[in-house]
Amino acid sequence: MSSFIIAIDILLLLYFVSQGVKSKNRLVIFFALIQLVLYFIVLSLDFFTFSDNFLLDKVSFFMLLVVNIVGLIIILYATTYIQDEKFSKSKKINFILILFFFLAVMNLTVSTNNLEIFFLGFELTTLCSYLLIRYRGDTLSQKNALQALWMNQIGGVAILISLIVSIIYYDTVYLDILLKSTDGTFLLPIVFLILAAFVKGASIPFHPWLLGAMVAPTPVSAILHSATMVKLAPYLILKLSPAFSPTLSVLVMLFGSFVFMGASILALGKDYFKEILGLSTVALLALMMAIAAIGTPEAIDICLILIVFHAISKALLFLQAGILEKVFHLKYLQDINYLVNNSKLVVFFIIIGFGSLTLPPFGAFIGKFNSIELIASLIGQNILYLFSLVFILLGSVCLTLLYFKVLTKLLATKNQNSQKQTDIGLVYKFTSWSLVLLLIIGTYICFEFAFLTIDQIIVPSFLIIVTLILFYTSSFKYAHRVKEYNCGEKDELSLSAYYFDIDNKYKKLILIVSIILICLIILGGF
Amino acid sequence: MFEIILILISPIIGGLIYGVERVVKARMQNRVGPPILQPFYDMFKLLDKQPIMINSGHIIFALMHFITLWVVVAMIILGQSILYIIFIHLLASIFLVLAGFSVNSVYSHVGSNRELLAIVAYEPILILIAIGFYIVNGSFEINMIVQNDISLFSMLFLFLAFLLIIPIKLKKSPFDAVEAHQEIVGGVEVEFSGVFFEILYMAKWIEYVFIYALIFLFVGNNILLGTILSLLIFLLLNLVDNSTARIRIDNLVKITLGLGLALSIVNLVWLSYV
Repeated sequence: MSSFIIAIDILLLLYFVSQGVKSKNRLVIFFALIQLVLYFIVLSLDFFTFSDNFLLDKVSFFMLLVVNIVGLIIILYATTYIQDEKFSKSKKINFILILFFFLAVMNLTVSTNNLEIFFLGFELTTLCSYLLIRYRGDTLSQKNALQALWMNQIGGVAILISLIVSIIYYDTVYLDILLKSTDGTFLLPIVFLILAAFVKGASIPFHPWLLGAMVAPTPVSAILHSATMVKLAPYLILKLSPAFSPTLSVLVMLFGSFVFMGASILALGKDYFKEILGLSTVALLALMMAIAAIGTPEAIDICLILIVFHAISKALLFLQAGILEKVFHLKYLQDINYLVNNSKLVVFFIIIGFGSLTLPPFGAFIGKFNSIELIASLIGQNILYLFSLVFILLGSVCLTLLYFKVLTKLLATKNQNSQKQTDIGLVYKFTSWSLVLLLIIGTYICFEFAFLTIDQIIVPSFLIIVTLILFYTSSFKYAHRVKEYNCGEKDELSLSAYYFDIDNKYKKLILIVSIILICLIILGGF
Repeated sequence: MFEIILILISPIIGGLIYGVERVVKARMQNRVGPPILQPFYDMFKLLDKQPIMINSGHIIFALMHFITLWVVVAMIILGQSILYIIFIHLLASIFLVLAGFSVNSVYSHVGSNRELLAIVAYEPILILIAIGFYIVNGSFEINMIVQNDISLFSMLFLFLAFLLIIPIKLKKSPFDAVEAHQEIVGGVEVEFSGVFFEILYMAKWIEYVFIYALIFLFVGNNILLGTILSLLIFLLLNLVDNSTARIRIDNLVKITLGLGLALSIVNLVWLSYV
């Protein structure tokens, strides 16, 4: 391997150690040192089977598409967003530069076939997320950034272990050769790569780092949740799934669907808008990993559709979260009152964002719908598929509840026709509209995959278009306008959203079950 | 042709079912009850009233709720995929929820939130029932399902789970916390009046058609048995409605989800492995 890459790797790990020492964080130092030791072991081992360093297949192609299109839209948005912050000019330019670097690193990571280069890319994404999360520089940011750093380094350790095992047993560091030579018997290198995917994908129990990342400026959350970083998780599982043994496939599937349900339930009690979005990302990533683990060509297509449309919808929603913060100074659900009076456009974007994750005819729905169909056809093979199906159904219905209860206070109008609509600015509008456009165009690209028949797409599209046309054209001039009847109540009543929090013992249970499942998956490698 | 006529008259069929139901319910309580055509008399009266509204979004969402439900029934009659129909039905319910949220009224909001919880209670079970049909018939398409033999006996537990969620959909006691007139004054309905209330009223009729159409799926090509079964369920539903008290919304979710999931899982395991 070129000495240039080795030098960067070692410098990077030394930087992590220095950051750990500087902030006296033992975990960071510990994992960075372990990685250094393991890395030197990897360097000392020789292997003789070679393949291409870069290899593009359908999965990589879709990832590149998501990273570059959605990523660039978010960066465009970030250029406006960061202008309102109270930082020096060079720091603002730095912010944009790191975001660009992030996209570059992602491009490298998803197109490589060499696990050593993949390790470099993996660590560089960790570095980028670390720099971005601590960008604000306050104590909380530093704390959360260090948390993200040590958790992500577990993934690095897992990749290095996988590399060592792979060199010793299969004499290669190339993914395609590794996948061909395992033949379902000794899957330890694969299992450790799966573990790395769980860390990157912030699956329970690794989810705190992704939730902690919310302290950073909102474009960071947008780019972490939609276009980059966490998408490495389903990507990795998609790449690995052809080599899974049937047991391993079912176990990963069960873990994914369980986390999907667990994270959706945890999100029901949250009030912070970005935290709600964050937990729903954790949930949907787990769903993608579950589907990817099935590994049939159909499952791979479904997972790719979920990856693409989740990226677009989540980007759209996070952009709205940023607009709420910047233009309306709102962060918490309980403070958002009568938003539709101030900006119909933002409410429209939020409804489209949430709707596109749950309802026909949008892409994320197509993914969910087809995964239910797919799993239904597999129930006969293994009883565990039935349980993961039940988890997925419960999780998705909880997400529906979550998304639409958020709308409680956005939609209600007060003193009609009195307030002026606030203008959110050209760049914010442009970026949001282009994401909506991508959603619509993307739905028709799904024809290529032939997952739904034409009438299955046309019927709901028609219903939604009719709704929009009605909103634009009908004024109901002949109708008499009144205030709410409200059952004749004289008192001033204020609206509030419902929250559904669960007992701490159930939260612990979710954590324990997912840890047990991870242990089972690791055992499945032997 | 027959299908198109059936689609067009489906709200009227729903209205008739509702009319008969009011009479049957009254007779169970030893009352005479209204004439069978009472829902239609109500309709003409409501159409005659002065149109009063709060804001246009409120009305548009309700209208879309009605239209989408009608589309759902049309798709059942045309024999589309049952799984897909369940999701279009979800879209219809979401339109109703949005309608409830779009006014500044607490009762309407409580109603909408309860509607969402009701979705949590019945949606997974409906999908599991669809999967039961898939395992028995090898297809989600209703066209295929109605050509095959009766599947009621192999899907008995799933059918029981379906019985459990019918009262939620038709807003019948003991699972009528979503509407709960004495408590939250009809929930989402509270802010509608006149011709606009008529939209929601008719949407309810179509819900009846939706539910009774699903019952026919369990008997496959045996229409006679389907009719008998529907009549029995109709009587049972009204009997239960008359004789039970309303339970709280959280218990509604716990009971239907817990019992319904257990029944469905047992039935699906049985279908796949026995």
